[in-house]
Amino acid sequence: MATIQHEYDRKHLDERNEYKASTKAILFDSSRCSGCKACMVACKTWNQLPSPTATNSQPWYASLQCPYDLGSNTRLTITFREMESTNPGRPIDWAIGRRACMHCTDAACVTVCPTGALFYDEETGMVSHNAEKCIGCSYCRGACPFDVPRHTGSDDLSGVNIRINKCTGCVDRIKHGMDPACVTTCQPGALTFGDRDEMIAIAEKRVEVLKAKGFDKARVYGATEMGGTHVIYVLKYDIAGYELPENPGISWMTTASEIMKPVLGIGFIALIAGLGGCLLSGVGYKRDELRYDEVNHDVINVETGEVVKHIDKEAGER
Amino acid sequence: MAEVRFIQRHSLLTRIVHCTIAVACIWLMISGLFVFVPALAALNLDLTRFMKVTHRVVGVIFIIMPIFGAIGSPAGLIEFFKKYFCRWTPEDFEFLKKFVPYMLMPKKVHMPDQDEVKSGQRFADGALVIGGLMMAVSGLFLWLGTTIMPVSAGTLVVMRFIHDLFFLVLVVFVVAHVFLGGGMFQPYRGGTIKLMFGNGQVSEANALYHWGFWARKELEDGSRVVVKKVPEEQRKAISSKASLGK
Repeated sequence: MATIQHEYDRKHLDERNEYKASTKAILFDSSRCSGCKACMVACKTWNQLPSPTATNSQPWYASLQCPYDLGSNTRLTITFREMESTNPGRPIDWAIGRRACMHCTDAACVTVCPTGALFYDEETGMVSHNAEKCIGCSYCRGACPFDVPRHTGSDDLSGVNIRINKCTGCVDRIKHGMDPACVTTCQPGALTFGDRDEMIAIAEKRVEVLKAKGFDKARVYGATEMGGTHVIYVLKYDIAGYELPENPGISWMTTASEIMKPVLGIGFIALIAGLGGCLLSGVGYKRDELRYDEVNHDVINVETGEVVKHIDKEAGER
Repeated sequence: MAEVRFIQRHSLLTRIVHCTIAVACIWLMISGLFVFVPALAALNLDLTRFMKVTHRVVGVIFIIMPIFGAIGSPAGLIEFFKKYFCRWTPEDFEFLKKFVPYMLMPKKVHMPDQDEVKSGQRFADGALVIGGLMMAVSGLFLWLGTTIMPVSAGTLVVMRFIHDLFFLVLVVFVVAHVFLGGGMFQPYRGGTIKLMFGNGQVSEANALYHWGFWARKELEDGSRVVVKKVPEEQRKAISSKASLGK
């Protein structure tokens, strides 16, 4: 039995690895990023997501990181973190990161989406979406371990027009032989697009170079996380500088909520069957009609006039 | 003509609040299924969006009505809590012990006398009240937290879990409540539904059967007793059918 399970697991793993190897990925090399934010502009331009330009229509962040987080019209933002370094010759680690959809192989958002508005693009492996199918339940927002999905129309109390808005991986561009918009515009070459296994190989080589230069906490991120993401990171500094979870995973509460669906179906059938049994057991049930004589404290059978119970008030009976 | 005695069990305010909440609760369950069950959600997106909006509108009614009831009768609210948070009698424990056998063999198993609220009813109604409260709070977070008062993703996942969990709890207790309170179960048959959806009165015979302690106390007190004169041939029918309670 164990062997069969092992064989199944190995086959399943092979299939998944084969799938991932055949898919695409964006490589983000944080050691090459200059923080110019051209990728953010390209994303907004291609996806037609202009930020409001009226005076004071945007919050003031007092930071290079602006917009500070993803939002209803921002699918990609560049993060900036100053961290104390252990290297006396370089007292500050200036970590420049990237926050956008990670395009997980095991994407929690796809799992919880009830309408299929979020889906895997089979050709590229990217997690794309069809906003027309979104009903605005926002389950994806809570389920994503990277806190990525955002929604348009969420400023309306009725929630009628809430629709998903997150990075699609530019699958529309990829299918026409182009790179994602953010990659196309990256001047310092921090963003690269290609076959996923190739991107991982480049990332691993780059990490080796960085380590040789003294960046001992440099690492690849995304090769295995969430079943392997389709955005691969080269982290130059400690992961704490990049707004990324060390061990991303699907919350047990999200998993439990998904399990509740079949449980509800089975439980409801069992409940109806149980109550149906009770219903049948009560068929033909009859009881004597009773009345109460409050003067003598007797419970009397109306048909026979028989006292079926005497309430002994002196003894404290009720 | 024969005299039939009834006991006024529920006030008009209680019945209005209960009736509105009951209808709201059922609609919330049906409309909630359109998000909870993927097959239903994807069936017709316009219908699903309509259900989602009604879920919010009816949710407001579901939250407001108990508040309206509490404001309308603060004394009634205090009395409500007293009935539910009371000292358990040996008969209360006996009732619980016999509940499952009684449901399966009502002709053979006989229940002990009960106060105004049966011990099992305290459990079931308690689950409904707590479930409703949890659904209301988590629902507000899921609604406002994704619209005008954004909350963190972590809060949303917790609230969704609570909303789903108590939905399961409510399905069980609401269905059981309808089964018993609606008089589908034979010993509860014949007018139980009138207690909340009718005049709120229970006949003497049925009150003695279901809530012996309470019925005798009320009949001795007399303040809530209503006497009606009916033709003799109707007496038995009324006594056995009218206004049974859970």
